[in-house]
Amino acid sequence: MTQAPPHKTSTQSAGTSQQKLVGQSVPRKEDLALLTGTARYIDDIKLPGMLYAKILRSDVAHARLNSIDMTAARQMPGVIDVLCGADLVGKVKPWGDMMQDLLVGDHTPFAVNKVLYEGQELAAVVAETKYQALDALEVIGVELEELPVLVDPEEAIAPGAQLIQEGISYEFGEGNIFDRYRVRIGDIDEAEAEADVIVRQRFTTNRQAGAALDPHGCIASYDSFTGELTVYSSTQSIFMVRDVLADVLQIARNKVRVIVPEVGAGFGSKAQIFPYEVIASIFSMRLGRPVHLVLGRKEIFQSGTARTGQVRYAELMCKRDGTITGYRDYIIHNCGAMSVWGNQVLHIGTNVGMLPYPIPNIRIDGDIIHTNTAPAGALRGFGIPQTLWAKEQLVDMAAREIGMDPLAFRSKNVVRPQTFPFVTPMGQIIDSTSVYECLQKSAEAIGWADKKANPRPYEGVGLAVSMKYTSCRHPSFDTDQSAIRLKLETDGTVTIYSSDVSHGQSHATMLAQIVADGLGVGFEKITLAQPDSLNSPFGLGTFASRGAAVLGTACRMATERLRERVLTIAAHVLEANIEDLDIGNDRVYIKGLPDSGLYLEILASFAAYRTHQLPPGFEPTMEAIATYDTPTEREGSDGSGNLSVTYSAAAHAAHVRVDPETGLVRVVDYTMAHDTGVVINPMVVAGQHQGGFLMGLGMVLGEDYIYDDKGRLTNASFKTYLAPTATDIPELNKMFEIPAPSLTIPGGQKGAGESGTGPVPAAVGNAVFDATGVRFTSLPITPQKMLLALREKERQGVEAFRFPDDMPNFGGPRTHAEWPKPNVADVVDFDWDNFDDENGDDSL
Amino acid sequence: MKPFTFFTPNDSDEAVRLLDQYSPGARIIAGGQTLLLAMKTRTERPAVLVSLAGISNLSGAATDVSGQLVVGATTTYAALTHAVFSGWHREISVMAGNLADRPVRTMGTIGGALCSGDPCFDMPTLVMGVGAQIETLSPAGVRTLTPEEFFGVGGGITIASNEILTSIRFPSADVFTAVAFEKFRQRTFDTAVVSALCATRIDTDGAVVEMRLTIGAATPTPTRAINSARELIGRPAADIDPVAVAVAVAHEVLGEPGTDSELVQYQRELIKALTRKALSRALTTSRS
Repeated sequence: MTQAPPHKTSTQSAGTSQQKLVGQSVPRKEDLALLTGTARYIDDIKLPGMLYAKILRSDVAHARLNSIDMTAARQMPGVIDVLCGADLVGKVKPWGDMMQDLLVGDHTPFAVNKVLYEGQELAAVVAETKYQALDALEVIGVELEELPVLVDPEEAIAPGAQLIQEGISYEFGEGNIFDRYRVRIGDIDEAEAEADVIVRQRFTTNRQAGAALDPHGCIASYDSFTGELTVYSSTQSIFMVRDVLADVLQIARNKVRVIVPEVGAGFGSKAQIFPYEVIASIFSMRLGRPVHLVLGRKEIFQSGTARTGQVRYAELMCKRDGTITGYRDYIIHNCGAMSVWGNQVLHIGTNVGMLPYPIPNIRIDGDIIHTNTAPAGALRGFGIPQTLWAKEQLVDMAAREIGMDPLAFRSKNVVRPQTFPFVTPMGQIIDSTSVYECLQKSAEAIGWADKKANPRPYEGVGLAVSMKYTSCRHPSFDTDQSAIRLKLETDGTVTIYSSDVSHGQSHATMLAQIVADGLGVGFEKITLAQPDSLNSPFGLGTFASRGAAVLGTACRMATERLRERVLTIAAHVLEANIEDLDIGNDRVYIKGLPDSGLYLEILASFAAYRTHQLPPGFEPTMEAIATYDTPTEREGSDGSGNLSVTYSAAAHAAHVRVDPETGLVRVVDYTMAHDTGVVINPMVVAGQHQGGFLMGLGMVLGEDYIYDDKGRLTNASFKTYLAPTATDIPELNKMFEIPAPSLTIPGGQKGAGESGTGPVPAAVGNAVFDATGVRFTSLPITPQKMLLALREKERQGVEAFRFPDDMPNFGGPRTHAEWPKPNVADVVDFDWDNFDDENGDDSL
Repeated sequence: MKPFTFFTPNDSDEAVRLLDQYSPGARIIAGGQTLLLAMKTRTERPAVLVSLAGISNLSGAATDVSGQLVVGATTTYAALTHAVFSGWHREISVMAGNLADRPVRTMGTIGGALCSGDPCFDMPTLVMGVGAQIETLSPAGVRTLTPEEFFGVGGGITIASNEILTSIRFPSADVFTAVAFEKFRQRTFDTAVVSALCATRIDTDGAVVEMRLTIGAATPTPTRAINSARELIGRPAADIDPVAVAVAVAHEVLGEPGTDSELVQYQRELIKALTRKALSRALTTSRS
């Protein structure tokens, strides 16, 4: 971790005559190019001599791969080169982890002996045109021997289930469970014994696509003379791509250059390296020509990462007065056939998903597993929507059982300490929060009291609250850093260098607001350089809602350092004390005389062209670099720890109307109250919340990976994949910010990008129950399921009904007595923090 | 997409000749809103495309001397939406303006929708629902088909690979006192999960003289509930219970409920809801 400058830093105190930009809805620098269609995405780049590659993907989900015959493909018109898995064995290194330690080498550019999911790479062709490449794919001969397919996560871990990943020795031996997760906080048995009310329910969640409109893709260009490989990629993290790619190809990292053009969103689905980046690189290195490889939409659905799916056997324990005393869960976490981020999703999403309740006793067992389905990974919310889908519905079920209003129940339990920071039993350090106020505000704005008092048929309201992490120290890598390099150019303009890719987060605008305030330089004079691993400082990338807080802090630190340099020169030239100087309106001036002073342009030119003007011994660089690594903790072996630097509260309230004849669920009104700390640009943050809501809405009402029993994805197009569109959302004119500035982040910021997603499925689920008496335990709530549930509920004549648990054809366990027991084999995780300890920490 | 030769004939006869010459690898393209998408993914790979865009007399809608509304095959949804129709023909405009999205409505044609054979589209249900006649041209000459003849029993369409759909002839405005179409789709731009169309004529005494009840999207081609509709002939419109009729229609179209899949169970419920709505609206409109 890095020591950040103190809170209320002096970068806030630039020229009094200049209005501060942080806190204002400054129009975005990004919009002109985006709105005029001049922004360049990966598919817009054309390099001289560029070739086009296409990938042949498996149309079966599980098979032995006997042979691939590329002879005919090689002879096709325009074809320059062909590749398949057998060509690369022993020549490239398998990968599997995010950046450095390739712990699980289960990722290869192509399937070699075995196909694990539909859409897995089998072979690739590079040709003069993309159509020639596609033609050649059609004549590749593939000999497969199909194997039983495992789509259902519980079937995948049943005894005797077909093994998916073979030849990899996991911590727990061979099997479809490749990792385990456990939490042991307090004493759950005591909590259970002393609970007045325990609600228990099995929940399942869906697979959701990233659905970024800008396709996954890259252009690799190898310079045979310099030995430098340049990769243009539509990615969220240039160093994750660079470091893993260099390792896979076994070349020096300073010979791999990753550049990012405009990225039309990622949502987590582009936060890792993909086989296509390796394939394009190998082709380019073999041929010495640029190679274009951009995926089609079907390929992205099949092989871009999708949200992890979960089965949860969840229990909530509480006292008669509504106090939550315990939470127990057994989670089967479906990561698809292979996954780089999947296990992290369960750790972080469950840890932070326990908030905003400081639950004293928690016991969680998670099996992190493979199925023959699309690779899973990060997606907006990172496990928190899944956790909340279970936990926030259990909260409503508990309130109902006790006879308490769900708002009152939550009000009693949300973290609301007298003093900050407050440490929860799970170890999260809550440095500030307004979650209680957010809860009241969202409920009030939806008209909670009135709607509960005067219910209308088939209409209902529901609540859900969350605290989303802001940045994160992931279990798999012990770092949480971002960096900024600032350069005062010789004409007084400023260039910002960052490796954290902006793909909708408005970095060019947000960082310029910080720099403008700190350096007193005009907003229009500040430019954000394209992320480029050759000249951008090392940082992790853009994910985990880390931009404003972590990158923003690095930017504040770099600004402070550059300001110091500028003031030092100015003090020398003006023969004044630094303390008597101020900065603003593009100049340094004597305090109180803002219309006088020296322009930054002049000061910068001294450092470049008139160095005799500089203070004696002053090193004439006008650059400053800063890296901020958050003071977050590593996850403890009991699952505890403060993994996040600060926490953004979200309280959502949904008002739904259900059509009893078609089953269509309409969210007619929706309120969101958020604590995003000190907001840099309110317009940008509001946009993030709206987009986040839309993704949550898709998760609860339509989006899903629908597989047939052969593991084939049946809805791999935007025509059949039911992502919501503009006509499906309510007005969203009841959004509120109740800032509780972070005490850890110097500028007070908190993450904004994912707060809008987490609570949506649960809030809508709770509202649907309020409207219909149907408790959905599986996602999504489609019109078909809603209507069948209503009819079956009428037929049974019951007041409350669970879908699908109470349907006649439901094949899963209906009651707690039938639930599977978690596998709690006494396995000791390697304890990095205490590895000097002879025994480590094996307490369970 | 695969390479293809693109022809833009100036009249229908030339189009038919080209189609005949390059058959079976040739396809007609009108608005291209279905075919182009399929070509992009290489699911369709015609070697020859014969465009109808340059044939002016295939586009437009006009009432002929008999009062029938003749709509050219390449008339776009947008043109139908903005056409000034009278009587029940106005429902055609409403339907054409309430499907897919604006780009599709601007480019897509009624003939293309019918020839796609997709039962989830609205135009097949319309044509079947009102009993429009379909006119085609082939080297053998002109044919007029009923919807039952045009649509294959198990789905798809029956016209030959060298035959062009030239126009749709809708019954005159006085044949029905009302036509009402209802559909359900999850998102505004989606095709129908189930649709229902009621075309009826009520005489001055309020008795049902004509009744057609048609269900779309639930079966491979639009299906008429002939028996359920026949039951209503001669009855006073005011005595008809739309809920009971809708249940009968659902059973007639899908068979008696048995071990239905969840999709069929859902379609059954939707048929009930949408038929009731369409029938109620048609009766109400007829009486007003």
